[in-house]
Amino acid sequence: MIAELRAIPSPDELNAPQTSPLLTVDRLKAYYKVKLFGVDREVRAVDDISLAINRNEIYGLAGESSSGKSSLIKTIAGAIRPPLRVVEGSVRFAFKDGERDIYRLSPQELSAIRWSRLSYIMQGSMSVLNPVRRIRHAFEDFALPHVSAKGADFTRLVERHLKRLHLDPAVLQAYPHELSGGMRQRVTIALATVCNPEFIIADEPTTALDVIVQKGVLSMIREIQQEFGSSVLFVTHDMAVHANLTDRLGIMYAGRLVEEGRTRDVFKKPLHPYTAHLISSLPRIGDEAPKKALEGSPPSLADPPPGCRFHPRCPFAIEICRREAPPMVEILPGHRTACHVAQADPARVRTVA
Amino acid sequence: MNTLRILRDLLRYNGEFAIGLVLVLIVAAIALCSFFSPYPPMDVYVVPPDIPPSWEHPLGTTSRGQDVFWQLTFAIRNTLLFGIVVAFLSRIISLAVGLISGYKGGWVDRILMSINDTFVVVPLFPILVLFYFIMRDEMTWAMLAIITALLGWAYDARLIRSIAMSLRTREFTRQAVFSGMSTGKIVLQEHLPFVLPIVFSTTMNNINWSIGIEVTLSVLGFTDINTPTIGGMIYWANQHTALVSGIWWWVTFPVLLVIMLFIGLFLLAISMNEYIDPRSRLSRLGGQA
Repeated sequence: MIAELRAIPSPDELNAPQTSPLLTVDRLKAYYKVKLFGVDREVRAVDDISLAINRNEIYGLAGESSSGKSSLIKTIAGAIRPPLRVVEGSVRFAFKDGERDIYRLSPQELSAIRWSRLSYIMQGSMSVLNPVRRIRHAFEDFALPHVSAKGADFTRLVERHLKRLHLDPAVLQAYPHELSGGMRQRVTIALATVCNPEFIIADEPTTALDVIVQKGVLSMIREIQQEFGSSVLFVTHDMAVHANLTDRLGIMYAGRLVEEGRTRDVFKKPLHPYTAHLISSLPRIGDEAPKKALEGSPPSLADPPPGCRFHPRCPFAIEICRREAPPMVEILPGHRTACHVAQADPARVRTVA
Repeated sequence: MNTLRILRDLLRYNGEFAIGLVLVLIVAAIALCSFFSPYPPMDVYVVPPDIPPSWEHPLGTTSRGQDVFWQLTFAIRNTLLFGIVVAFLSRIISLAVGLISGYKGGWVDRILMSINDTFVVVPLFPILVLFYFIMRDEMTWAMLAIITALLGWAYDARLIRSIAMSLRTREFTRQAVFSGMSTGKIVLQEHLPFVLPIVFSTTMNNINWSIGIEVTLSVLGFTDINTPTIGGMIYWANQHTALVSGIWWWVTFPVLLVIMLFIGLFLLAISMNEYIDPRSRLSRLGGQA
């Protein structure tokens, strides 16, 4: 898997003047706030996250279950519902026709950018198709209001899009249950990308698919991304998928971003102890040594530990980790981490692997 | 063309549908005969009374001098129409309340459901009788249909609400919300097809239920007894102590006809479900749903 990493961008590419990023998330805090029957709970699912995603880039987001991945991307897509609320921070998109702050838009403006500029392939996308309606209706319901083509023009547009993605336009007449899981997933992706959005959020689109189908779905996403020059925010806990697909990778732990860098750098030289453990747990061909498990389990987000949230499980924890939450600091070019130890000595953490 | 083919396949593969259709068609044909009746429905003593079934009067005549067959054509027409009108009106209410309440949730749900539950616990029969005593002569056939419809939607609204609540949490609803579909569109386009099989089935049941209400009220004389209905016929038969004096045909044929209608509607309801829901259609073909 590691061997299949994509080529490192050449120094020219790296030094090329960066245009402003397409997505800027600034100190975003989104909490689940429940006040009911005298219980006052606050689950800090997204806690002080800043990140930027460039044009024409696949950004991977990794982290175990309950690390806040889905909450983060729901917040980014502006698809949150109570009790999840944005407490602080902003989500800004720099689309071709102007900049938009997701949480400063009216519902109409928000609806106008969805699908046409910002699209969302939802988690469990096997079930985003209504089982009692034909696929054609799904396209009409969800995508038709966002394109100018109507009637036969719209049908032609959809058919052209399906063909471009190597899907038979005959699927439009099918009911979702008549398609295989992989087909359904492709149709869902086709549905989300029919308007050539600039930004695509993909929430675990390969989960629950076998590896052959996964490969097809991944190459489809890659193809779409390259053809339209869109940016993709790709979320999965499957590190192998990240290694194969993403340009840059962000690692989440307990509601916080703990490391971010080019995918290759993160895999080769992890800076955060959590990432290091995550990567050392991946199987390698020829390696027969038993894998060491990390003690403990992720903390409850309703009552996270003080300081660095990873410190109770961290083999390198020092005094300051218990008191102060580490800030995200760029340690190597384009490679940030939130770890007191790595910030003092970047080489130290790698000894774990 | 396509509809015809669907009908043909339903008849060929679905015994319940065939029997149900035949029964309902017979009843409907009898109802249509009313337009060719040689006797006006309200008139009495147009034929000799108390004649048992014969060639001239196939279902006999009543003690009021009416031909049972022709009287029955009017009666079943009015009763059937009553059931359809009540079912149609109450379906609209229960769909609107159930879908909106289930999808919206929150205070909308709480208000609608408290109204709904009031209608569930309110005793229907005494209220209908009360209405009759208050309105007396204004209690026409149409008025009774409206009142019954207003009282008959609550159970099904709750049923529809429970489905809408589950649909609300499905991914495709979130996708629809994300794409900016309005509440009305989501409810009508995405959720309505899900509840339609149930609505179909409850429509047939509601027709049966409202016919039952109408027959009960008429038998007891709490309706406009001059409009011929199935219940009205039995009412007059009781008034003339038909069973005691051996005029059995006056009671038997209306009861048989209404039972045919009940069974026919029930069979149609269950077999239509199978066609409307593509998954159970598949299982009939031997596939896995």
